[in-house]
Amino acid sequence: MTSDAETAPRLEDWNERLAAYEAARHMGAFRSALRRMRFNKLLLIGVALAILVLAAGILGPIISGVDHTLQSFRDTHLPPGSPGHLLGTDHLGRDVAARLFIGIRVSLLVAAGVTLLSLILGLLLGMFSGYLGGWRDRTIRGVVDFVWGFPLILVAVLLAGGLGGGLFPVILAVGLVNTAAIARVVRGEVLALSEREFIEAARAGGLSTPRIMFKHIFPNILAPALVLASYYVAVAIIAEAALSFIGLGAQPPTPSLGGMVSDGRNFLQQNHWESTIPGLAIMLLVLAVSLIGDGLRDVFDPRLRHEAKGVESQ
Amino acid sequence: MKTLAARTVYMVVVLVLSSIAVFYAIRLSGGDVTAARLPASASFEQREAFKEQLGLNDPIYEQYFNYMGRVLSGDLGSSLTNNARISDLLLTHGRNSLILGAAAFVLVFAIGIPLGMLASLRRNSWWDGGIMSFSVAGMAVPNFWLALLAVWLFASVLGWFPSAGCCSPRQLVLPAVVLAMEGIALTVRMTRSAMLENLNQDFVRTLRAGGLGEVSVIGRHVFRNALVPIVSLAGLRIGQIVGYALVVETIFGWPGLGQVLVNAVLRRDYPVAQFFSLVLVTIVLLGNWLADVGYTMVNPRLRKA
Repeated sequence: MTSDAETAPRLEDWNERLAAYEAARHMGAFRSALRRMRFNKLLLIGVALAILVLAAGILGPIISGVDHTLQSFRDTHLPPGSPGHLLGTDHLGRDVAARLFIGIRVSLLVAAGVTLLSLILGLLLGMFSGYLGGWRDRTIRGVVDFVWGFPLILVAVLLAGGLGGGLFPVILAVGLVNTAAIARVVRGEVLALSEREFIEAARAGGLSTPRIMFKHIFPNILAPALVLASYYVAVAIIAEAALSFIGLGAQPPTPSLGGMVSDGRNFLQQNHWESTIPGLAIMLLVLAVSLIGDGLRDVFDPRLRHEAKGVESQ
Repeated sequence: MKTLAARTVYMVVVLVLSSIAVFYAIRLSGGDVTAARLPASASFEQREAFKEQLGLNDPIYEQYFNYMGRVLSGDLGSSLTNNARISDLLLTHGRNSLILGAAAFVLVFAIGIPLGMLASLRRNSWWDGGIMSFSVAGMAVPNFWLALLAVWLFASVLGWFPSAGCCSPRQLVLPAVVLAMEGIALTVRMTRSAMLENLNQDFVRTLRAGGLGEVSVIGRHVFRNALVPIVSLAGLRIGQIVGYALVVETIFGWPGLGQVLVNAVLRRDYPVAQFFSLVLVTIVLLGNWLADVGYTMVNPRLRKA
């Protein structure tokens, strides 16, 4: 008994040192990842595009100063480049540019809400499920697999049926489905981590379970979870647009990119820009986010990097 | 076969749980169901009597059991907005959805697998680059946007296909292709990576060294191995098609199950929304179950789990 009591603090000490060593190695990996980032052209293009879109969403409405709800029945279906309406007007004579800026804002808002919700919930569920094991793991896995198996749009339509239209059901539905996707991956990462020596050492050193989970496991799964979440931002943007397109997302008069595409589709012959401009904005947004997601994955996920190398060298 | 039974039990449990979830979600909806059916001038008493008649004032678990009992005995009720019988809607719209879904399902594999093979066999060539770019685009382009572009190009400009409507073969082409696109893109990727994985195996080198012709090596050995994960996971494509059908059917005015559900949700026609949610959820779960079973059967390692 006495020997246990003597070795336990030392073991913990050793474990802390090991954890510090792991953290240092992690920092090293992070720094080299930063270095690689500078050479990843796609990532840079993605970041540049994202800054452009963010600026449009945040500053656009302030700079343009045009009211996006202002209707004018004399100036309907104006093509882009018309005086006073840089991107033209829609079927109610509303300024397309002003509506586009707000629409981008809505998309970004939904993407941010979804990412926050799915990242926090996904990390927690994945961590509890992977580290605690047993019946907790089985329960969480059952729920997560159940949600994950459903098509996003169907879940969103069902939630919209229950909660009524608007952005909240969209954020909730997309957030929950993405949570399931993130929780699955986090659980796998945690399972692999639990086998590593520094976690075993922490356990042997008698650290409490919450302390191991949040001080030693959590920092190590944060990077892969963030990379994954960046990938799912694109999913959120597309889903919001699709739902607004069929009338279940943002409710008028709040403009959304998907809703604008839908409004314009009856006037494709007269002035297709009413549909194609917001459509292009969605594409640009998705492209920016996907490039960032792909770039981050290249930079941070050594396993995939090896695979890519393997294919290149053949 | 023990797993088959376990998976089936799991599927049934999940089906029951999701039927409860769907029932609660739709029944608890904030909107006033009487607004769909009664004139705006209807008094409070009239509305309450209407609710009573529909059984909406009973405890919700009682409503659930009553409802499931009626559904299982074939009494599906009728729409609140146009009085159409739900069983009629199921027959006509179900048939239309089946046509569209089956066409898309076939396209996913009939286009995806050959393209994926071509990309893997001409690796790092222009073919590979072109096909993989197509695949990336297919996954990145939202299908309602693709639908719009397709309508604009093939219906408005070229006039090859009608922009909407049902159910002639010419009207089927655009919605089926749009519905299949993401599945095609995914299948191309899966086929290519499965082919490459197998092409790098030692047994392929052995077969080639043994003097087996290239056609035979690829066709009889590599391709057959590569096909396994794709076919065994085909059930997942069913769920994907059901999800996207909600959007694609609405855009192309294809009177299928997805369009009925979306319209019912938009109009708060809760008996219709309830039933068709249940139908689509069941189809999705069946697809997932098929994929589960298929994947377990071809992966002996999973059988114990």
